[in-house]
Amino acid sequence: MHILKATDVYKKFQDTEVLKGISMQVDKGEVIAIIGPSGSGKSTFLRCLNRLETIDSGSIEIEGEYMVKNGPNGKAIYSNEKDIARMRLKMGMVFQDFNLFPHKSVLENLMMAQMLVNKVNPAAARETAMVFLDKVGLAQNGPNYPFELSGGMQQRVAIARALCMNPDVMCFDEPTSALDPELTGEVLQVMKDLAMENMTMVVVTHEIGFAREVAQRVIFMDEGIIVEQGHAEEVLLNPQQARTREFLSKVLMAR
Amino acid sequence: MYRLTAFKQSACKFDKGFIMDYLTSLLPFMLEGTAITLKLFFLTLIMMLPFGVVLALGRLSKLKPLSVTTQFYIWVFRGTPLLLQLLFIYFGLGIIGINIDRFTAAVVAFVLNYTAYLAEVYRSGIQSIDLGQFEAADVLGLSRWQTLSRIILPQMVKRVLPPISNEVINLIKDTSLVYAIGITELLRVAKIAAVRDMLFVPFIAAAIFYLVMTAVIQQTFKWLEYRYAYYR
Repeated sequence: MHILKATDVYKKFQDTEVLKGISMQVDKGEVIAIIGPSGSGKSTFLRCLNRLETIDSGSIEIEGEYMVKNGPNGKAIYSNEKDIARMRLKMGMVFQDFNLFPHKSVLENLMMAQMLVNKVNPAAARETAMVFLDKVGLAQNGPNYPFELSGGMQQRVAIARALCMNPDVMCFDEPTSALDPELTGEVLQVMKDLAMENMTMVVVTHEIGFAREVAQRVIFMDEGIIVEQGHAEEVLLNPQQARTREFLSKVLMAR
Repeated sequence: MYRLTAFKQSACKFDKGFIMDYLTSLLPFMLEGTAITLKLFFLTLIMMLPFGVVLALGRLSKLKPLSVTTQFYIWVFRGTPLLLQLLFIYFGLGIIGINIDRFTAAVVAFVLNYTAYLAEVYRSGIQSIDLGQFEAADVLGLSRWQTLSRIILPQMVKRVLPPISNEVINLIKDTSLVYAIGITELLRVAKIAAVRDMLFVPFIAAAIFYLVMTAVIQQTFKWLEYRYAYYR
């Protein structure tokens, strides 16, 4: 059963077409890695999935419900705000730059949306927060403020914060790109643990090693289209398309 | 009046005792003037701080008519002298038959003027906040109002404290402009005494009063900045 389904998604920024007909679906429990050169539209596509960006045409379905679909004139028409808000809560999002709230402690970062959005009482919110802080290995850091933590720790807090909302699918937008190399491991480990627990995940990443190890399926995007997709091992070890081979050789050479 | 006589009698005898006596006699009037100054200051302050936020949000609104109207407002009130606005509101309203007392006119003029300045300070503060903060709040499901009140505005406050302290210090000094519509505030008291007694001392006394008030403002903001230093 698919949790997420995008069909023929088109998106323009001013005159630049960044997504030219992207279709993909994510099944429950699946981990999908989206790779590709910068400017390929992979982050934009991920951001379209939870309406951080709006699409021009195409459709996006979440758990069988349309968040957006084409109207009779071929232009995308979004569902009403209330339904969209409900659908978006099924998706957790982790950003490249963590985007923790700097004026709130780690614990408050995790509790806030639970209380404001899900109307959970403070005690329960705190309990949930502690469960997920512990899960990302930061049970001791509840009272800290984000600036007191390393980048890797901040990103783990951001993951915990998203998990506190009990999402059905977690989206990661280059979660390790802003980190010093020695800090990426701890974040990737948390993500591996999540994958082990059958969390459905869509990960835009440059970490080919991670994609190979954790993802069941890899999507290679370039210039706004999906060039190649398939089983992780196949796409990464035996790419069929010249562009995929070129990209992979560049990325792997850089190591 | 008797001071003038005393002055003539003392015949330029500027001994320490005389100046102290003189200042002591001046003090009640200076304090009365200061009370008016502070009353205008605080009334303007408590209104301009929230009104500025409202105006800044209007300025940043995606609704074109709203943002254009607020821009026009800001242009008018930053683009003309405060003194002129003061005269306009007090005398101008009188001409069209709306009579308000001097002090109310002063408060209205100051609030209208300072709100325009604060709106721009707040706007720059809001715009300096990383887009990622809005997005993080958005994906967590926070409403626009929750995002503003819990995430954006609290962070904005920390960033705008230094420019706001500038505005607040300007405000305490600008209150002296209300002499133009005949309100007897601190500087006017000093001026009356100086002219009447042909002495410079009242001006020095007034300067000290202003310096004490600005010192208190500076310290307050220093404390506020310290209080907001718990995060970066």
